[in-house]
Amino acid sequence: MVTRRDFVRTVGVGAAGALSTSWISARGREDSVWSLVEPGLQAQAPGPIIPLSSNENPMGPGQVVLDAITSAFGPAGATPGRYSSATNDLRDALAKSLGVTPANITFGCGSTQILRTSTHVFTARDKALVGTIPTYEECAGYADMLGHPVRAVSLDRNFRADLDRLLDASRGAGLVFYCNPNNPVATYVGARETKEFIARVHRVSPETTILVDEAYFEYVTHPDHQSMIPLAIEDPRIVVARTFSKAYGIAGLRLGYAVGHPDAIRKMNAWDNASGTSSLNVLALHAGIAAIGQGPAFVDAERARNAAARDFTIKWFADRGMRSTESHANFIFTNIGVPARQFRDGCAAKGVRVGRDFPPFEQAWCRISIGTMDEMKRAVAVFGEVLGKPGAIVAA
Amino acid sequence: MSVTRRELFSRLRSGGLLDEAPLNGLALAARGHEEDSALSFWGQAGGRGRGAGAASQAAAPSIKLSSNENPMGPGRAVLNAITGRFGETMRYPFNVSPGDAQLIETIAAQHKAKPENVALGAGSQEILKVAVWGYTSPARHLVTATPTFENATGTARRMGHPVVEVKVDGQFRLDLEGMLANARGAGLIFVNNPNNPTATVHSGAAIRDFVERVRRISPDSVILIDEAYHEYVTDPAYETAIPIALNTPNVFVARTFSKAYGMAGMRIGYAIGMKDTVRPLARLALPFNISVLGTIAALTALNDPKHMAAERDRNTQARDFTQKALDALGCRSTVSHTNFLFTNVGRSAAAFRTACAAQGIQVGRDFPPFEGSHARISIGTMEEMQKAVAVFRDVLAPANVGGGERA
Repeated sequence: MVTRRDFVRTVGVGAAGALSTSWISARGREDSVWSLVEPGLQAQAPGPIIPLSSNENPMGPGQVVLDAITSAFGPAGATPGRYSSATNDLRDALAKSLGVTPANITFGCGSTQILRTSTHVFTARDKALVGTIPTYEECAGYADMLGHPVRAVSLDRNFRADLDRLLDASRGAGLVFYCNPNNPVATYVGARETKEFIARVHRVSPETTILVDEAYFEYVTHPDHQSMIPLAIEDPRIVVARTFSKAYGIAGLRLGYAVGHPDAIRKMNAWDNASGTSSLNVLALHAGIAAIGQGPAFVDAERARNAAARDFTIKWFADRGMRSTESHANFIFTNIGVPARQFRDGCAAKGVRVGRDFPPFEQAWCRISIGTMDEMKRAVAVFGEVLGKPGAIVAA
Repeated sequence: MSVTRRELFSRLRSGGLLDEAPLNGLALAARGHEEDSALSFWGQAGGRGRGAGAASQAAAPSIKLSSNENPMGPGRAVLNAITGRFGETMRYPFNVSPGDAQLIETIAAQHKAKPENVALGAGSQEILKVAVWGYTSPARHLVTATPTFENATGTARRMGHPVVEVKVDGQFRLDLEGMLANARGAGLIFVNNPNNPTATVHSGAAIRDFVERVRRISPDSVILIDEAYHEYVTDPAYETAIPIALNTPNVFVARTFSKAYGMAGMRIGYAIGMKDTVRPLARLALPFNISVLGTIAALTALNDPKHMAAERDRNTQARDFTQKALDALGCRSTVSHTNFLFTNVGRSAAAFRTACAAQGIQVGRDFPPFEGSHARISIGTMEEMQKAVAVFRDVLAPANVGGGERA
């Protein structure tokens, strides 16, 4: 039996060109495949769990989304027996809300499918994938499976993408995976810098596609925050990935999408769209339409809720001498000073589940997803016990 | 036996996915998909027009007999179970309990297998797709039938991998001898049993014999036995090939919750076979591809065998009624062991489809090489079939035959 540990190797913060096998060691599947191979991987504590391991929205979707799922059953409950044709309704609703055309959009069974399709279409044996280390690992893991080269670029000292080194690595690359905010380190590069970076890449490497993963877009609180969608719809070498799994609170329904120039979208569709469409379940389609219909107020409220719980948690750690990176996501990346595994196991035994290992930082840093304020207050009490830090709740 | 990642990848490479260059907009070969979403997507890609690829629609509420769906849906217990899990829609499928791991365990247990023998797909279509990705290559062809479910064919063509299509026999059954004759050196052999769209089935003995003979002449070829319509079969000689798959290298069975389980909209299927055959499929399939609600729906359905027996009986009655009514019109159907009929309507499927659509009945698309004479008609509820038969009588009445070239 393969264990995940076989693949986990510690690597130094290397220069561009680190081996792909080390980059993907932590894997990009948020534990799915491995939870099947290693059922014991997720240790369960007795009693209720506070899940702070997968960057989910603890509030779940809005009531209108749940109502839409109920409606999707149909009056006699027979509708899920049918193949759904609601994909176009979702595409129309999304296009309208984003100010793009339906031809700018394709869907995935989660943005995972978008990442895989992009990797398949835009990399090759002689066209590398480029990304930071660490980052969300799906593209690298898939490129590795394809036998396509992967160039990993270490972060800067503030755990932000090192744009100069990323640029160097991008020459001749097939695809740059640009996760912003970057999972697992939570940092964000402002819109002006990102646009400059994209322009620079295309000056030195005109054929390279840049996949901007905006999975955590809705949680960003940076003053210079903009989507790259307006760029993407004008330039077939830029694709934006989005998901309903994070702020919209329907990770369980599996719905993501890409926005790009019709030529890029067509290329992706030619590889996997018909199957991509068929991988979407009918409840997700209707949930997605309802989620969009909630308008910006829903996302604004969720951003504010998350920011408050995030600030509370970061402050709790800071007050005890443990620094976190500057988070613009619904998780924090924190220097706990002990191996992530040790912290994770200790927390799990007390009913709090935190993030997996993220090499090369797994010896001292941990990713902690942000739950509700109530969950975070209970969680920091556990963190205090596990880390031997006094004063569970000192500030709200 | 321990399988290292390297071994796995080398297996995948030898299977062919890794020989794949990035594709540049190859058109999707003729629709390999049942669902309207795919059809309407391509319709849109061709210039808007929702459902442009589908049959023209009547103004009146229509009865959909075009996609081999279960008209009853998943059943009340399943829907109640889904509603009961609304509190977990924000969680990934691996963070809920029961979750996808439990679904795999339950499926495995039902077949006296282990979890390592099962891979989940977003519908069995994903299983077929990744099987073609992993097991065919420019040097290792796909052997399939014509007509049959075109998903594997379309995927292989998109990749530029060779495809050998073997026409069904005189009884519209898979020509297993013909497929065997093309098996040598094949990457993947696609056996749809029962076969969509011809509705026919092969016995357990025939499948066992086929597998043994393929294994003798081409042991490296992988045999995919797609049993999407398994639950609807009423032929006593039929047997599932799952026991064969669990004991024979390079054989696996695909199953789906889209047909008799009534959950086409939920997108759940799986592959089952020996670990070394199934593992590459699990790696190529999307991670966490089954929704939280789909997982609980499938688990609930698997624990309700009585519902399945009732569904088989319901379908059999409506199918028999429809077949007899068509017989009375002089339109012969093949021997169906599915939830659809493949019927000689004595005119082109397009003409029949258009005439039926004008009266609110949607029937199946063209299935070359029989699109000049045969239509595929999915079985709805008895009430739907009574209404449909009235339309068929009108459309197929001798006075309306036109050319009247009925065979």
